[in-house]
Amino acid sequence: MENPLTIIDMARSLTRHAATRQALITENVANADTPNYRARDVLPFADLYRAPGEAERATAFKPIATRAGHTGFQTDASGIPGLRQMEALAISQVGAESPNGNTVAVEDQLGRAAEARLNHEMALGIMQKSIGMLRAALGRP
Amino acid sequence: MSDLMRSMIAATSGMDSQTTRLRLISENIANIDTPGYRRKTISFEEVRAQSDARAVIPGQVRLDRSELERVYEPANPLANEDGYFDGSNVDLIVEMADARESRRSYEASLRMFEQSRGMLNSLFELMRR
Repeated sequence: MENPLTIIDMARSLTRHAATRQALITENVANADTPNYRARDVLPFADLYRAPGEAERATAFKPIATRAGHTGFQTDASGIPGLRQMEALAISQVGAESPNGNTVAVEDQLGRAAEARLNHEMALGIMQKSIGMLRAALGRP
Repeated sequence: MSDLMRSMIAATSGMDSQTTRLRLISENIANIDTPGYRRKTISFEEVRAQSDARAVIPGQVRLDRSELERVYEPANPLANEDGYFDGSNVDLIVEMADARESRRSYEASLRMFEQSRGMLNSLFELMRR
């Protein structure tokens, strides 16, 4: 059985991802007429999220080294399930660049914003349902 | 949540800058018949606002240095011996196009602001239950 807390963690990661995207997209739209501004966005959630596999689930409570000073633990931090560092990357789109060096296409940004909003709503819905399930398991209405 | 706040700050700065731009466009149109008037232009700049938001501010107001229109009106007290005087260099078509672009960007910023607020609201809604 899938641990419901994994689902909550996943939903939380998706919420964070959607919020970060929303912030970047709004910044792009606000700067739609700024000369030399480059539009930015983050990679899709699927590329940034790592779901816990069998191996991670078995060693879920094993300590790992997250700083240089920690010794005697597993050092490979890339194996940690969860959301990886979200890096804002420049969007490259053919034909979006204006003569003043601005690469924001407002229509494209609005499409991305709709996507971010949908993901955010979905994640919040999943979180709410999972909390409901936990509540039901505890025998509370 | 701080991302959504950041987003609202950026959207506000966007609307603010477009408002300034629209004001200058209105001033240009109002002065289209003022002798010797040069149209005002601004260029936006990207700045770091609170919460590290990449906000936008209107840059310095500059005057368009292009040639003024020469108006032939010998009866005008400003006219020189050939009957010409300098009008303004405001082109109504250019101003209208600029206003349209500004409005479009303003509306996009407003829409993004409302969406960020909606997302923040649904987050609070989850906490309330």
